[in-house]
Amino acid sequence: MTIKYKTIKDIKIMLSQKEISNAEVIQEVYKLIKENNHLNAFVTLNEDNSIKKAEALDNKPSNLPLAGIPIAQKDLFCTKGLRTTCGSKILDNFVPPYSATVIKNLENAGCISVGKTNMDEFAMGSSNETSNFGNVQNPWGENLVPGGSSGGSAAAVAAGIVPAASGTDTGGSIRQPASLCGITGLKPTYGRISRWGMIAFASSLDQAGPMARTAEDCALLLNEMCSHDEKDTTSLNEDIPNFEENLNSPLKGKKIGIVKDIDLSSLDDDVVKIYEDSLKEFVSLGANLVDISLPNLSLSVPTYYVVAPAECSSNLSRFDGVKFGHRSNNPKNLEELYVQTRSEGFGDEVKRRILIGSYVLSAGYYDAYYKKAQQVRRLIKNDFDSAFSDIDVIMTPTTRGTAFEIGSKGSDPIQMYLEDLFTISANLAGLPAMSIPNGNLDNKPTGIQIIGNFLDESSILNFGHMFQKSTNWHMYTPEGAKQ
Amino acid sequence: MDKKTVTTISYLSRLKIDDGKEEKITKDLKNIINFVDQLNDVDTSNIEPLTNPLEKTAKSRTDEVTAKNLKKELLKIAPSSNEDYFLVPRVVE
Repeated sequence: MTIKYKTIKDIKIMLSQKEISNAEVIQEVYKLIKENNHLNAFVTLNEDNSIKKAEALDNKPSNLPLAGIPIAQKDLFCTKGLRTTCGSKILDNFVPPYSATVIKNLENAGCISVGKTNMDEFAMGSSNETSNFGNVQNPWGENLVPGGSSGGSAAAVAAGIVPAASGTDTGGSIRQPASLCGITGLKPTYGRISRWGMIAFASSLDQAGPMARTAEDCALLLNEMCSHDEKDTTSLNEDIPNFEENLNSPLKGKKIGIVKDIDLSSLDDDVVKIYEDSLKEFVSLGANLVDISLPNLSLSVPTYYVVAPAECSSNLSRFDGVKFGHRSNNPKNLEELYVQTRSEGFGDEVKRRILIGSYVLSAGYYDAYYKKAQQVRRLIKNDFDSAFSDIDVIMTPTTRGTAFEIGSKGSDPIQMYLEDLFTISANLAGLPAMSIPNGNLDNKPTGIQIIGNFLDESSILNFGHMFQKSTNWHMYTPEGAKQ
Repeated sequence: MDKKTVTTISYLSRLKIDDGKEEKITKDLKNIINFVDQLNDVDTSNIEPLTNPLEKTAKSRTDEVTAKNLKKELLKIAPSSNEDYFLVPRVVE
């Protein structure tokens, strides 16, 4: 009995039928982590605690919905008593005295947090190359990036180490690595999951979400992750549906919006063919394709690269070496303490974004950049609002291509920024969006993105689940297809 | 975006740019600003800025202590502290 490549649903059955004990599940996770040490997917492990929790479950079984399910937590969520680095030197010694609400929600549902996953520093990156703890390797190939910023979480699930991981998505940081690693990743509606205890990058865009092997498992996780939280002023106080209920609803007559304004000619022909084959699959399941227009979509990336750095420069001002985290040695005065601590503690990409943020927010430039970008942000949201009046979901490729080689994007940051071309607009508009595996090119997975209307995660999970019932791309692993 | 601007914004950001890296970072920032400058071509007259996708007014709550006092735990993780305070280099001579 192995848990490698198993889904949450599989492991739940294995546990309930006593084919495996809780302790055996967790012991195997750590065995798999060690076997996959070269992936560098984890920054900190929680081994002793996790084994104790599993043994306790064996002694006293629990009816909690996710009892004993191992989960890897992105190292951006504060975890009480467990080091939380956010991929940065400035937090390399930070042990939070409290846990994020979403971590508590998952643990209260029975999940066992087995460790903290590697990530781009402060979630700023699309390849996991900006982490202070080194690159993460994509399980699909030695020199391939796993995507980012939730690269460690995606790699851990793709390698079959854990059935589930948490991620966060500010411009594509769940969906892009999910696509590049061949797993399923969902960014919920902005405000669905509490941001309390999540280390902030861009507060009006950040959203946590589940990463797993299937849409069905994402639904199970989402059921537990969502809650209204008074500690987060942007936490939604809306009904939280049972996300499993709608999974099997027939797609007959449902409408998929296809964005006319996306120029697919810049993509690899094979990637386009895979995307079009997936659309045909949805049509064969009864859905209709409807052309829609999102005329301002191409402005998403430039809009994002004003809004996100602005919010980041403000959020990251809290890292000053006074109350927690890294502090520079022997500063002459307080000013030097701030400057040296920050200059030593932040990497190049984080510094670049703080500088851009300071620039677009500074006197004389605020209206020209920050206000302008927020106006364009409304135009982008208005486009989605009118498109969704007549359709159920929107589909696009998740990324422009498959996983690229480490170091291949060169030193021009804009090349890396364009990696999130298709994913960023959902963050700007606050909409839920998911990537599911939809093909394989030269033994590298591809993904298709399903964007839903505000609060309508149920529809995207429904489309994802129905696709996964009729295809087996989500069953592909770096070791071949699994039954 | 030139070296002088980079000096100003790095001061505002409390960041020191390493001597060898000034040129590269100036070039990167210039490219990024040129890239986002395409927003200037968009007509946004009479468009209200969108600061947050929810557009809901933040709710107020009664001013009650709901959190546990974590003073001890918080001072313990500080780089330098005594029993009551975070310590920093002398500010007042």
